[in-house]
Amino acid sequence: MKFKAFLTENGVNLLEKRFLPAFEKMGKNCYLFLTKEHLFFLHNLLNGDGVQCIAQFRKDVLFDDYRISSQNEDRIAFSLDVSLLYRAVKSSVSICTEFSGGLASNRLQIKLVKKLPPNCTQPMPFLTFETKGYKSAVIQDVPISKPLSRSQVIELQTALDSAQDLPPTLVQVQDPNQLQNFVDHMKHVGDVLNVTISKYGDLQVQISTTLIRLGSEFQRLLVIGEKSQAPVEDRNLSAQSRSERAMARGDAQSVQVSVKHFSKSLQCQLTKPDSAFYGIAPQGACLTVIFQFMIPGTRQTDKSISLHCRLPVLDPGSN
Amino acid sequence: MVDALSCVRWKRHQDALIELSEHGIVLIVEESGCLQAKVYLQRELFTKYEYGAQGRPRFGISLGLLVDCLNTFSSPGHSNTIEIKYPGPDMELLLKSVDTLNSCIYSEIRTRIPETVAWDYNFEQAGSAPLTFTVKSAALKEAIDDLEWPGSSVQISLHNSPPCVTFRGEGHGDLQIDFMYYANTDLLLAFHCDTEVSYGYKYKFLKATTANIPGNVVRENRGSKLTIGRGGMLKVQHLVSVSKALAPQVESAGYQPPSRIAYIEFFVKPEESSD
Repeated sequence: MKFKAFLTENGVNLLEKRFLPAFEKMGKNCYLFLTKEHLFFLHNLLNGDGVQCIAQFRKDVLFDDYRISSQNEDRIAFSLDVSLLYRAVKSSVSICTEFSGGLASNRLQIKLVKKLPPNCTQPMPFLTFETKGYKSAVIQDVPISKPLSRSQVIELQTALDSAQDLPPTLVQVQDPNQLQNFVDHMKHVGDVLNVTISKYGDLQVQISTTLIRLGSEFQRLLVIGEKSQAPVEDRNLSAQSRSERAMARGDAQSVQVSVKHFSKSLQCQLTKPDSAFYGIAPQGACLTVIFQFMIPGTRQTDKSISLHCRLPVLDPGSN
Repeated sequence: MVDALSCVRWKRHQDALIELSEHGIVLIVEESGCLQAKVYLQRELFTKYEYGAQGRPRFGISLGLLVDCLNTFSSPGHSNTIEIKYPGPDMELLLKSVDTLNSCIYSEIRTRIPETVAWDYNFEQAGSAPLTFTVKSAALKEAIDDLEWPGSSVQISLHNSPPCVTFRGEGHGDLQIDFMYYANTDLLLAFHCDTEVSYGYKYKFLKATTANIPGNVVRENRGSKLTIGRGGMLKVQHLVSVSKALAPQVESAGYQPPSRIAYIEFFVKPEESSD
C-alpha cells in the first residue's frame, strides 16, 4: 500500500485553523479513511456510544499530486491520535513560513511510511510530514495504527454508508452562538436534553428535572425536506403546548440526547460552517446535525467539504 | 441580578425564601440559625413591575437553580430582558426572555411552601447610639480572607480612643487587623462608637458575608456597612450595582449612567461567650 500527496496551502489552512481544532474536541482518536477521490475523518463510527462525526474532503481541496494505491481497491484506513496530527500540521506551518522566500519548492509532503523507531525491534507505520527547504529538510512522524484489513475496511465503509442517511425534515439554525451559549449554561442544571423539531420550522431544546424546566425555542427556521404550515390557532400557546400539539398531529418529533454530547457536537462550530441543520432520523434513531459550507463569496454549497454529526438517542423517541 | 443573588450563595445547593410585595422582591437565605442573608430588589430596579396580590406571597425556591437558570438567559452581545411571573399554573416561578421575535428562552422553577416563620432576626440597636462602621468592600473582603489563616473564630472589637476597629484571630497563629479611623479615611469611611464592644464570630459565617461578592462589585469598591446590635448580633450591608445594559449613546468622559442598587444584608449571631 502506498500513499503520497502534497498538502496545498488551502489544505493546510483548512486543517490547521478550522477542522483539526474541532476534531480534537470530538475525540482523542479517529479513523483516517483515504480513497481514490476522498479523505474522511471518522469519529466513533464503529463503537456504539459517543457522538459520531463524519468529515469528508474531496482530494483536491486538501492535496496536490495525490497518489494512492492498495490491494483493497485503492482504499487505506488507519486510526491516529488527532492532537498529534494537529501538532504536526501546526509545526509544519511554522517551518514553512520560516523557510519561505517565495519559492514554491517549500511544499509540505505527506506520506505513509514504515519506520523503525528507537528502542523498537519492529518497524511501525507512520504518517510522515516532510518539508524540503533550500538547505535542509524537516521530517515529522505521526504514529498511526496498523492499517485496517480488508474486512475492517468493509466494516468501516458500511458504517459510513449507513451514516449518510438524511432525516426527512431539517431545520436551519443561523445563529449557533445563541444555542451554544444556552447549552453551556444549561449543563449545570441537568444531564438530559429533549430536542423537538417540527415541520413548521420550530426547534426546541429543553431540560426537565423534577425541580425545573428550562428550554430555548427557535421558531420559523428554514425547513428542508418535509414541511408544513403552523396552524394559526396555536400561535399564542406556550412553547411546550405548541410542541405537544404538533407531535400529536405527527408534525413534530422529539428525542432525548445527552447534554454533554450535544455540547460536543456544537464544537464543530470551530470549523466555521455557514450554517447548521438539525434533524431527527426516522423512528427517532438519532439526532443529526449537518454543517453547511458555502463556496466563499457565493451562496452555493461547497460540495467538496461535508461535515455532520450523529448523536445517540437516550430513550426511544416519541413520535 | 445574578451578581446580587450570587452574593448570598455560599453553598452550591441552597434553599431560599422569596417574599413578593408592592415594594419589590426580597430573597432570604438562612443557615443553621446563626447566619441569615437578605437581598432587596426594589421595584425601581425593574423596567416594569406589576403586583396584584393580597398580602405578601412567600415561597421557597432553590437559589442555586435560580442563579444557574438566570445565567442561561444572558448571552453576550444580546440584550436580555427577562419577564418573571408568579405563580404559574402549578405555583411555579415562570421566567421568559422577551427580546427576540423568533426565539425565546423559558423556564419554570418549582417552588415550595415555606417552612413556618423563618427565625426572625430581630436586630436591635445596642445602646443609645448605633455601633457602626463602614469599610471599603474590597478591604473588608481581603481582611476576612486573611483571617482564614489563624483557623479560629474572629473577634471584632470597636474602640473609641483612638477610634478604630480590630479584627483578631487567635488559633495556630495570631493575626490582628486594625482599621484606624483617622489614619486612613480612605479605607474606613465612617465610624460611630460610644462604648467599646467586642464579640466573637465563627469564621465560616463571617466568611460567608464577603466570600461570594462578585469580582466586579469588589472592583467598584463601595462601602460595606457593619453594625453591632444588641447582644452582639452583627449586621453586614453591601450595595451591589444592578446597572442597565450598555446605553446606545456614547458616554462622554465623566458621565456615569445612574446605576441602580440592590441591598444585601447579612445577620451573624455572635458565638456564645465562654466567660
